[in-house]
Amino acid sequence: MGGWLKRHRWVVPYALLAPGVLWLVLFYVYPGIQMFISSFWSGTLETGFTFSLSNWTNYPEALSASSEQFVRSILYAGAATILTFLIAYPLAYTIAFKGGRYKALLLFLVVAPFFTSFLLRTISWKILLADSGILLAPLKAIGILPPEFRLLAEPIAVVSGITYNFLPFMTLPIYVSLEKIDHRLVEAAKDLYAGPWRPGGAIAGIVLGGVLGGVLGYIFEYPVPIWAGVWGIAGGLIGWLFISESFTRITFPLSLPGVFAGSLLTFIPAMGDYVNAEFLGNPSTRMIGNVIQNKFLVQNDYPEASALSFILMAGIIVFVAIYARALGTEALTTGRG
Amino acid sequence: MTPQARAHEEQAIEMANYPESIPTPTALTRRRFLAAGAVVGFGGFLAACSTSGSGATTAPSAAASAAPSGAPASAGAGASPSGKVAWANWTYYMDTDEEAKTFPTLDEFTKLHGITVEYSEVVDDNNSFFGQIRPALEANQPTGWDIVTLTDWMAQRLIRLGWTEELDLANMPDFTANLKDEYKGLAWDPDMKHHAPWQSGMTGLGYDVDVTGDLTSLDTLFTADPRWTGKVDYLSEMRDAVGLTMLKLGLDPEKPTTADNDAAIAEIQKAVDAGIVRDFKGNAYAEDLKSGDATLSMAWSGDMVQALVDKPSLRFTIADQGGMLWTDNSMIPKGASNKAGAELLLDYYYIPDVAALVTAYVNYLTPVKGVDAKLLEMDPEIAKNPLIFPPPDVVARLHVFGPLTEADEAYFNETFAKVTGVG
Repeated sequence: MGGWLKRHRWVVPYALLAPGVLWLVLFYVYPGIQMFISSFWSGTLETGFTFSLSNWTNYPEALSASSEQFVRSILYAGAATILTFLIAYPLAYTIAFKGGRYKALLLFLVVAPFFTSFLLRTISWKILLADSGILLAPLKAIGILPPEFRLLAEPIAVVSGITYNFLPFMTLPIYVSLEKIDHRLVEAAKDLYAGPWRPGGAIAGIVLGGVLGGVLGYIFEYPVPIWAGVWGIAGGLIGWLFISESFTRITFPLSLPGVFAGSLLTFIPAMGDYVNAEFLGNPSTRMIGNVIQNKFLVQNDYPEASALSFILMAGIIVFVAIYARALGTEALTTGRG
Repeated sequence: MTPQARAHEEQAIEMANYPESIPTPTALTRRRFLAAGAVVGFGGFLAACSTSGSGATTAPSAAASAAPSGAPASAGAGASPSGKVAWANWTYYMDTDEEAKTFPTLDEFTKLHGITVEYSEVVDDNNSFFGQIRPALEANQPTGWDIVTLTDWMAQRLIRLGWTEELDLANMPDFTANLKDEYKGLAWDPDMKHHAPWQSGMTGLGYDVDVTGDLTSLDTLFTADPRWTGKVDYLSEMRDAVGLTMLKLGLDPEKPTTADNDAAIAEIQKAVDAGIVRDFKGNAYAEDLKSGDATLSMAWSGDMVQALVDKPSLRFTIADQGGMLWTDNSMIPKGASNKAGAELLLDYYYIPDVAALVTAYVNYLTPVKGVDAKLLEMDPEIAKNPLIFPPPDVVARLHVFGPLTEADEAYFNETFAKVTGVG
């Protein structure tokens, strides 16, 4: 065998790829083809399903019936991705640049919640955000919040749940790309007078914060002007205090590959998530994942469920393509934007 | 380069090009790997062939253990039951010894008859479990289960599809004698040839009496009131939610029509739009009631018995307009490998002593005659609990959701999905 391989070296890469490819073909390509075929079925469980190309109408029907949940999934997943980014970037930055001896421990703490099951983590948020739970009860007792105020069964709980569940997925890739940055580059930038960005940072913070706050206010169904205002002020403060030119010109562009990877790892699963909407939401916060689950398991409507799954997949691919274009492919591969 | 260095270099090149030439005593060569694999495989072959338990009749051939044929090798008409029975059931549905983690009545059964029971609490949703066994049943393959316990409408669907074995009632004397009359004569299995009721439950109102006061009407679920607006949970089980709504509207859920369904769905939609309903939940409503996130809910009697212990201010009642009665039924799926053993096990649980033990732990309604008398001796508190042994006037107000055709079922599910936000 050794001699044969030596003479036919070209086989080696394929041999190494073979297990992975086999796995993909068996558990991804084949079921995908199966599902695609079933999206062209018509019929019911008991009368049997028949394949027919004229059933392509399943796709527009499914899309128009569930357009509300599709749009909502995009908004919730997008909001969750942005929120995880806002939390994960400072976290990864601190661990990478200021972690020192404790880097390993801090990374372990970031990942530690993953040792419990996804379901348990979601249910634990149900307990934390309960109407008279540890978070709301004191605020209601003081009188800051009215007694009927609730976080659960509202969009904010669903998005918060998704954010919490996917935080390590965003933190770790950003950490990895920040870790690789040569600190001498930052030093060199500082030597070249790349200091705190104060007015520029404040303006950027106010604008970005205001826009983000407004969008989040709209998604969570809270008063948009108040949210835009509060987030704008917070953004301005952060921009004034923390953003420096060396960050915007050196550190952040070099960390873009990690940001890209992390946001993909967060956005794509969040789009199909259904557990958070089921446990933490109400009937008007259901996502496309809930619809597909219902159609598949309860209604036994396999054609429409398969069609919805494919539309979801196609939508995600389109989004990712646009996102990759927007970030610029050089930024992703070489780290120089 | 010196001759020694050149020799070293050539040896290094040799070792790089011909890894097998490196003299390591434990190198994993291809021959050794295949030999080890053969040993492991043969050992596995022997293990699969070994008999298990007394009087096992598992066919001693690897082919049979790898792909059990549907032919009832051990369930012939005249064969005495033996071997093992695999049972899929819901959680908390069998008397359990919490510390020893065993099921006393099942162990007793094994002692009496020598049949081991593989009891798995894997059913947590009718639809998901149906999704698991459907592919095998469609392909006429055994599912791996000898008994499955599913709710009325799913049992009806399995029987309608012809995916259950017919029970040999001659092998089930206790079942025939002790089944309560109200369980007989159902439209979807009038001769009791395909299912044996396991436990029943009631669907009614669950509420926190400290917040809402005593409630007796289903209207409360649909009317805004500061005590419960925004804190009402509906059940995500279509037949319970729509059934209770039909009762509230004065319609008869035992004969459900599409027109009745539309009226009920419209009523539910009104309540959702008005912000009265917090969410549609499965068992999770009990958590909401306990934590105070919900103060009123459509509730199942068995859950409430347990919830009452955790939070004494909770109450369960069947409203004046009535409540729903549902039953989880045990069936033998087609292709079960030990039909005779399964029949024996199902019959065993119709002995009043055994059924009493189960009811004492599970706290649901029992389909077996004579259990309340037994429990009066063993545990009077349970025998007097109206949630487990409802008085006759309550029983008279209970309704079973009527059977649906496949087309109607699809329509009802579709409209209900729309109102719960997933349609």
